Amino acid sequence: MTATFGPSPYIYVCTRLRVRKKKLILREEYMRMLHMGLPEITRLIQETEYKREIDELSTSFSGINLLELALSWNLAKSYQNVLKILPAGLKEMTSSYLRRWDIQNVLTILRGKEQKLKPGRIKEVLIPAGELDRTFLDRLIAMDSNDEIVEALKGWRLFRTLESEYQKVPEVGSFAQMENVLYRQFYAEIIRDAESGIKGGKEFLDFIQLDIDIRNLQNLLRIRLQGERAEISDYMIPGGSFTVEELSGLNKIEERGEFYERLEKSLKNRAFIGFVERLKSSETKAEEERRLEESQVALTRIQLAQMERMSKMHPFSIWPILAYLELKKFEIYNLRAITRGKEANLPMERIRNYLVI
Amino acid sequence: MAMQDIKPTRSELINIKRKIKLSERGYNILKMKRDGLILEFFGVLDEAKNTRGELQKKYQLAKEMIALSNTIEGTISLKAAAFSVKETPEISVKPKNVMGVVVPEITSKKVRKQLLERGYGLLGTSPVLDETANAYESLVDSVVRSAEIETTMKKLLDEIESTKRRVNALEYRVIPELTEARDFIKMRLDEMEREELFRLKKIKARTAA
Repeated sequence: MTATFGPSPYIYVCTRLRVRKKKLILREEYMRMLHMGLPEITRLIQETEYKREIDELSTSFSGINLLELALSWNLAKSYQNVLKILPAGLKEMTSSYLRRWDIQNVLTILRGKEQKLKPGRIKEVLIPAGELDRTFLDRLIAMDSNDEIVEALKGWRLFRTLESEYQKVPEVGSFAQMENVLYRQFYAEIIRDAESGIKGGKEFLDFIQLDIDIRNLQNLLRIRLQGERAEISDYMIPGGSFTVEELSGLNKIEERGEFYERLEKSLKNRAFIGFVERLKSSETKAEEERRLEESQVALTRIQLAQMERMSKMHPFSIWPILAYLELKKFEIYNLRAITRGKEANLPMERIRNYLVI
Repeated sequence: MAMQDIKPTRSELINIKRKIKLSERGYNILKMKRDGLILEFFGVLDEAKNTRGELQKKYQLAKEMIALSNTIEGTISLKAAAFSVKETPEISVKPKNVMGVVVPEITSKKVRKQLLERGYGLLGTSPVLDETANAYESLVDSVVRSAEIETTMKKLLDEIESTKRRVNALEYRVIPELTEARDFIKMRLDEMEREELFRLKKIKARTAA
């Protein structure tokens, strides 16, 4: 561990994570799983590193729910383990990146408490993969009211945003606005951290920009496909290659053909051309919606490919850490997609389309 | 109606004739009601077939969407998103009169919601969630519509059945029995008249002798 605090903490951490990355499930194994039945897949997963979580949870859960929960618990544990070995600067950056999970958990607890759900039911849907660990989240769940929960989050980096938005909840009537503002703040903080001079931070900014662009484009199209013509600036994240005003202007275009034409012209990242063209060529709204769903996976593949490329170009930077975190996340997503897809009797080809390999 | 219970009197004949007239009028009205109900039923039946087909399609789509959501997003994310639902759909039932049959008129509120009204944020969720929510909202709408149509159909069928029973009872039992009683009284009265005439003739002959 002393090596992490020496002059080259990147070398130690990146090497360790590269080794862990090697242990992740390979493409060929996913392909093999696609040909297996659900019991075989379950047995295979039980024989891997997920065994401990499965054994731990098997007293309270069973079947595919047990499997999914065990996968999520393993993800949380892996992330917490990564955070433990990171030196101060990198830890801060990585924590910022993982704060997405904290937002999800905090919102789930607030919503669950609002709905007066039993603590056990709230606990089932938490994935403590961020900075706020399981013990802290359990403490939050045990609290009596949302006021107390918000108060207990005083030390959290997004506390100010959470507190101000929480006060608006009775007026707005839901946590949706709070969720959007928290995620916007999350991206703002992550950009600030990337600009703080960390090694690989400049390239990381490009990656974040790609992430923001993907989310903005997806949400813009979601809003349009659902027939919403409301002002969208509150739902767009600043910091991408499109400005919020540009996206807002695009949403005001009524005619579908004109919208896609303007969108294509304003694309600054070539990675999106295929995505927009596929959506543009949809003949029906249903097809357009289906393609938008599928595009999520396609865009994630682009994102991961970029991440992999960058981690090879900058072997001792933030990139190998983030690449491992993302690849681990998608290992969980892929295993879940295969098991859930098999459970729902989805065709093999269709399940394969949802795998991020 | 047993013939021995019938009093062969003129007043009874008038009474029975009045009953026959009433029964025949009732029979005609009920027959018209039955035909009307059958006509109405076939209209509802077509609608019920359509709504049932639509319901099945929407149920399949909803099942497919939830499977897809579970595959892409995972049950945990799906459940977490479901926590954001605050307003549950409201169903109100009002009575409606169809040819004397009281059927329910079911209206639903707060079933279909706009994307931005659903309670979950856009930045933490994905498009597949919107499609799943859409599919389920549409399914609930279909269930409500189907419940109205199918209850109407069931009530109409019950009414047709009971009207048919009444029509048959009038046609094959009440009216024939009354006609038989009327004919019996008429025959008895005629016979009594003939007996009376014969007796008078006999008395007259005896007086003349």
